[in-house]
Amino acid sequence: MDWGQPVNTAMDSLTAALKSNIIPNQEYLLQGSVLDAAVEVLLHRLRGLCDNVDSGPETFHDHEMCFSIRGTSPQPLLLRVRRALDYQDMPWQLRYIGQSELGDKSRPTIVRSSIDVGCNATVVEFLTELGCRMDFEYILRGYMFRKGRMKITVSKIFKMGQGKPPESVEPMSQSYLVELSVLAPNGQDAIGEDMKNFAEQLRPLVQLDKIDYKRLPVTGPP
Amino acid sequence: MQREEKQIDNALDVMLSRVTELKNSVIHLLYKMDHESETLSWPTVLDNFALISSQLTAFNKCLGHDKVPPLQNLVVLPLLLNPDRDEDLLRMTEGRIPAFAHDVVPDYLRTKPEPEVEQKMMQLEHKAAGLSNETTQKQIAAYTKAINHILDIVAKAREDCESENVTRGGASQTSSLADTQTLAAAIAIGKGLKPMVPQGVQSPGMMVPPGNRPPGQGPPMNPNQPPQMGMMGKAPGTIKTNIKSAGQMHSYNR
Repeated sequence: MDWGQPVNTAMDSLTAALKSNIIPNQEYLLQGSVLDAAVEVLLHRLRGLCDNVDSGPETFHDHEMCFSIRGTSPQPLLLRVRRALDYQDMPWQLRYIGQSELGDKSRPTIVRSSIDVGCNATVVEFLTELGCRMDFEYILRGYMFRKGRMKITVSKIFKMGQGKPPESVEPMSQSYLVELSVLAPNGQDAIGEDMKNFAEQLRPLVQLDKIDYKRLPVTGPP
Repeated sequence: MQREEKQIDNALDVMLSRVTELKNSVIHLLYKMDHESETLSWPTVLDNFALISSQLTAFNKCLGHDKVPPLQNLVVLPLLLNPDRDEDLLRMTEGRIPAFAHDVVPDYLRTKPEPEVEQKMMQLEHKAAGLSNETTQKQIAAYTKAINHILDIVAKAREDCESENVTRGGASQTSSLADTQTLAAAIAIGKGLKPMVPQGVQSPGMMVPPGNRPPGQGPPMNPNQPPQMGMMGKAPGTIKTNIKSAGQMHSYNR
């Protein structure tokens, strides 16, 4: 009887992949924002800088739900479920994002572990059965650009209306969130320099930086 | 006769020292171009050229000096051509000429430009001589005008660029750090996105068995939560459980 063989093989290959460090499980991230009035200028500049020039910027309209579960550690574990509102039949996405490491000044970007997996709509029920509860949710709507391995998103964040239909949503602020990110296997810190250089090209329109949301000045929600 | 030879010797000495100076300047410039091409600035190159040019002028002057006998009247006559490698010659020429052979001698002992070049120079000199003073002046004026025009264009472009930078830097702010932080905190930890009392959501979520939840419970997780919290003061009996849960929530807050 060799029941476990296939399972072992899958586990083995996963372990091997992890050991040989080919899984892109690190996210290098820079964040910034641009005022609504200036977003057209930014989009124009990104169109010039990025790879997908011919097809134009890709738009997206997503709904993200953040679930948390308390394990043994004091920090709750956060899991994010995302679905495309504009493409309802697309698979959903479940994502784990680890703690942001800001590092010192010599490190150009935030680094955090990140694991993505495709799933379907039943993931919400699955997470709930596991004991997760939904912490918060929001709508993202914006544009996605690519430049080599780098991904640039310019998106507006909307609050979900309580019990209201997803159409009646209220923007979080008068700005678009701008994120520059790369998913890469562990230890490829050189990409951070590339990102820094790219961010430099968007100044002074957008100041892309390592944002430490834990040390934010206390401001009331808008 | 002896006096003349002495004169030639002296003249040769002076010429040699001038040529050595010139050679050193050229070597210096070449070295700079090879090794400092990253940092070499255009003004530095021009300075070096100016030095070389002044040395050339000085060299020309010393050729035309009274004490120098007319060199044109002298003939350099190669007595022996030898295709074999000559170590002495190689050392003297700093590794440039390995043998005093027939293929290099015409170039090194040349006293006139190549016929083609000579012809071209003749043509140009002819043309220059043929021009009247007036046309020359006209051409110079036209040239100066064109150059001034270009200079104006460049200056204007520069002015525009600088003023644009100033206005852009001063007037329009295109991003707000506060907004960046609001948005980053919102998507990271749900700051400003959670229902009124964020921790309150947890307790009922944990307590209500899954079966009791409304179906399709992604987005409208607890639609009636905020009103309940608002009514907490005069809590009717039905919501008592929720008051309890709210009490529990404080234990999480600590």
